Amino acid sequence: MSERGLHIAGLRSGVAGNDILKGIDLDVQPGSVHALMGPNGSGKSTLAFSIAGHPSYAVAGGSVTLDGEELLGLAPDKRAKAGLFLSFQYPAAIPGVSVANFIRTARQALHPDDLTPAKFRALIFEQLDVLGMDAAFLSRYVNDGFSGGEKKRLEMLQLAMLSPKYAVLDETDSGLDVDALRAVGQSVGALRASDAGKEIGFLIITHYPRILQHIAADHVHIMMDGRIVKSGGPELANVIEREGYDRIREEVAASVG
Amino acid sequence: MSARPTAVHGVTGASLDALIERLGAGSIAEKARRDALARFEELPLRQAIRGGRNWKRDLAKLDLSAVATFDPAAAELDVEALSPVARRAGVTIERFSLALERHRAAFERAFGRAVDTRDDKFASLALAFQNHGAFIDVPAGVVVDEPLVVGYEARDSALFPYTLIALGAGARATVIERLAAGDGAPFVCGISELVLDERAELVYAVDQRAADATTLVMTRRAVLAEGARLDVASAELGGAHSVSRLRATGLAPGAHINVTALFFSDRDQHVDIETESIHAAGNTASNTVVRSAGNGHGQGRYFGNIKILADAHGAEASLRDDALLLSAGAHIDSVPALEIAANDVKAFHGATVGAISEDELFYAESRGIARADAERMIALGFFEPAVSRFPLEALREEIRSAIERKIVSGTGGVTA
Repeated sequence: MSERGLHIAGLRSGVAGNDILKGIDLDVQPGSVHALMGPNGSGKSTLAFSIAGHPSYAVAGGSVTLDGEELLGLAPDKRAKAGLFLSFQYPAAIPGVSVANFIRTARQALHPDDLTPAKFRALIFEQLDVLGMDAAFLSRYVNDGFSGGEKKRLEMLQLAMLSPKYAVLDETDSGLDVDALRAVGQSVGALRASDAGKEIGFLIITHYPRILQHIAADHVHIMMDGRIVKSGGPELANVIEREGYDRIREEVAASVG
Repeated sequence: MSARPTAVHGVTGASLDALIERLGAGSIAEKARRDALARFEELPLRQAIRGGRNWKRDLAKLDLSAVATFDPAAAELDVEALSPVARRAGVTIERFSLALERHRAAFERAFGRAVDTRDDKFASLALAFQNHGAFIDVPAGVVVDEPLVVGYEARDSALFPYTLIALGAGARATVIERLAAGDGAPFVCGISELVLDERAELVYAVDQRAADATTLVMTRRAVLAEGARLDVASAELGGAHSVSRLRATGLAPGAHINVTALFFSDRDQHVDIETESIHAAGNTASNTVVRSAGNGHGQGRYFGNIKILADAHGAEASLRDDALLLSAGAHIDSVPALEIAANDVKAFHGATVGAISEDELFYAESRGIARADAERMIALGFFEPAVSRFPLEALREEIRSAIERKIVSGTGGVTA
């Protein structure tokens, strides 16, 4: 069996000739939670989109392997089929397509015929319950007219329903009120506590440490100007909480200078 | 005469003579037919429906000389039997040709109230050569729960259907008009006339799925009395060249007009839709939703007009028109217009034309849905706000299936 983990090595990527990621190395093992923190403009979302294969991002070098399979060069749906899930910071609305239909179509594409319709229904109602949503949510059009909290709950519902091996959560906490953030945290917590979800490796991309009060990270990485400048344990998030990014920025400047 | 009569060809005085001899004048006076033919010959073709420079299909080049205009065995009117309950309540569904003879009072009360063919070339043609049709009359106060279905199927000759629907005060009904034409039916030209008395409520759906070779020119007119409500939902999915013009007029306060139109031109189809809501009295409302798509080398045009007359104080109108282009060769023109002569009204219109957004596609693809499947799902979803306004789940499913086939059809060729 090939090497396990979501393994990012020397990843360089950008938009329209503009280099944003200047060589990223990260290794997310099954069942672990990595937090990637950084100020606005540091390249966090570029990393998420480059891993997932957004057509606007051109990868200039490096590799991203998922349990040994190279993702770079694969179409986005093939990356999902390899086991990748991206929770979007700004999920697109798809008017006219119901939440239930969308998730059923995706589940069927990723895991053909592995759930009977009855089991699918039971599972989705269970997850709705965890997220504090009612059944009417399923017949709404995907993200169409959703509040910020509803959008992120739908991302979490998909995360739970699509059984990925690795999940990248891009700014899932942004724009959420306390209740929505707690619901997101509970959803991820319930998933990690389940047999089906305990092996999922997480990369949680965030500006603010507050989501880490709801989802405990094993590893914290700080990203600035397209590079990971510091890695450590959960205590690193507390430093950011207390002192912001300036202290780290000074440290980095001092060590380079 | 026992032998099967032979077909009559062309739209000339001689062919009209032959048609009248075979059919009798039916419910339209002989003189009215002859006058209508004269108008068809004299009236110019409006540039608007003739088409723009880049249009491949042009009504001015329409040659009907070889077209069989009447073949008594070639077209079928399929009217679903009325339930005993509806029949006892006095609801009528009758062949148009027998309507005057059998239901003179009701027919004369409604016929011509919404349609004026005097300045309309193709409505005149439809009136002159009317060879099929249905008359539906729902008396005052009667509510018909079952949908009334009128299906026209043209086979080897031109079809000139006249559908007259009259609802008395407070009556309620749902009517579905199906229009089908086989490969041998080159031309359909018809009139649908909807007359709603006070507080009547009509749901009127059109399901047009003619074969690839057919040219259609349909004229649909509605008038609404005080407090009446009309919900029109039309799906124009078939034909080589399909022209459809709807005009609904709210004549008195409280009239409410909802128009839903969807069309999809793929391969080499050309679809040309006009809708017009006229607010002729105060406190009238209209709401128009149009969804269209083009694929292959399909062309389409939507012209939507809202007209608010000077006395229509407090009128409210909205028009929303969105077009989706699924191929580089497809083209859709969208022309929403407002003509407002009153000053204390609310009117809104908006239009978009564009391709499927890359953000939506990427979002679906990132969930494991292959690009082609994502495109199909998103395009089908694009129509859903319009499809959901059609009556009957079975009809909605048929329309969704027909749309789905056109989404995946790509760039095959239409024969005509």
